Amino acid sequence: MSRILQSLQGYVPSLLRPISQKPASRVSTSITQVRGKKKSSRGGKDPRIQLIHYSLYHPLTPRPLKFSYLRHLRHWTIHRAWQLYKANMRRERELELERMYNSIRDSCEKLKTIGDGGRLYRIAISKQGLGQWGGIGTRIPTEAPGRNGGWDYTYKNQ
Amino acid sequence: MARPSPSTAFGFLRGLAQANRSQFVCENSPILRASFSSAASTNAKAVETKDAAAAPTKAVATGGRKKSRYQMRAPRYYKGPLNPNQPPPVSDPSSRAFIPGPFTAERLEDHYYDTLKSDIMTMTYTHLVPGEERARKADRLRSWDDSSPYHKNRPLRGPRGGSTLRLLNKPRTFRNVPGLEKITVHTMVKGALQDKAYLAVAGMVVQAITGVRAEVRNTKQQLATWGLRKDVPIAMKAELKGPQAYRFLSSLVDVVMPRIKDYQGAKGSSGDSSGNISFGFSPEAVALFPEVEVNYDMYPPKMIPGIHVTVHTTATNDKDGRILLQSMGVPFYGKLID
Repeated sequence: MSRILQSLQGYVPSLLRPISQKPASRVSTSITQVRGKKKSSRGGKDPRIQLIHYSLYHPLTPRPLKFSYLRHLRHWTIHRAWQLYKANMRRERELELERMYNSIRDSCEKLKTIGDGGRLYRIAISKQGLGQWGGIGTRIPTEAPGRNGGWDYTYKNQ
Repeated sequence: MARPSPSTAFGFLRGLAQANRSQFVCENSPILRASFSSAASTNAKAVETKDAAAAPTKAVATGGRKKSRYQMRAPRYYKGPLNPNQPPPVSDPSSRAFIPGPFTAERLEDHYYDTLKSDIMTMTYTHLVPGEERARKADRLRSWDDSSPYHKNRPLRGPRGGSTLRLLNKPRTFRNVPGLEKITVHTMVKGALQDKAYLAVAGMVVQAITGVRAEVRNTKQQLATWGLRKDVPIAMKAELKGPQAYRFLSSLVDVVMPRIKDYQGAKGSSGDSSGNISFGFSPEAVALFPEVEVNYDMYPPKMIPGIHVTVHTTATNDKDGRILLQSMGVPFYGKLID
């Protein structure tokens, strides 16, 4: 081994130099720098795209939850209660809508026979102005008023 | 014993259930009630004591910590209807598709059920006189006029003016008030033909703004003028249903649309004549979504796509669909074509 190094001494003087003169760390960094130049094949160069790719297509997904008996039972009970609540709510809403519909129909029938020549009835069943939805009436209600006062004083109902 | 063992709990519950049932059965006969309920309670006690006697030995064996009995393990892949290992229902926490929630009520959904639904029903009310039969319309599928002997046994002719049957527009009742069915968010990314990164970014954006996993759509046919080949990934699509759809629509109406510069609204002629209405947003408008805006730096700005939003309603014509969207706050511009 030493013979080979001595034979190379003329060409590569640094090989036989004591280690203390040249820090080993610098040698190693130069090697990694050379390796780092290798082009990565996936994801492109942009780290943002790499990150998106990683977070979208990473194969490892969290394992399914494991609950103990009682915890599972608790969960099941709450789930059933919630389903029941939703079903009751749905039924109540539909019944309320049906009640409204029936009362609209009955009042229309009454307006026919009110004795004004059917004027109110005609107004009631006319569909004028149906296309002009929008404006203040369509705002989805919030708990607090909007930033600019919450009241439009210039608003006029057409 | 610090914690009740599962078997004890189940025994106790079983006893309770029995007691309840027996009370329910003999509710109308007060004479029987006492004897039945006492029997049930003794039964429950017996079950409890038996299980409690069995439980401590088990607790000692596992070092005091309760280890569950057999637990269902959801299969990673669906192996068909005949496989004995079937996945549990999605509501079960051990299912792989389980999503916890809901954690919030959607404002727009509540508003629809509280106000809009009855409003729309009242405004579009059609008066049907009770007891009076409606005039019967002609059959939509026409018969052949038998001018040729070959007309015999032929299937009926299609409707006038086209080969497909349109949806029926029935008079408004409380059962057919138009509502939101689902929303489709679709984005076709032309850059995906050269660089797949475009598709990934588009998927991320769609997933961020909808909260639904976007799926990749391929080209249907070859189109040389656009440089398209067949079956190449080109678009991302997400379908929103239920609360997610309401949430997306309300964030569109409340946040995005008011901030788009000179936004006129959806086009008045939009719609597929069966109540589904579409409109689009440019990449600049998509960047205004709060979910994108909050970490805008994480997306390459040139790759943020524009989106097409299709609102599927239960209305049977465009007019009713548009009325629903208008009442939810979506503006329309231009001539309204029904």
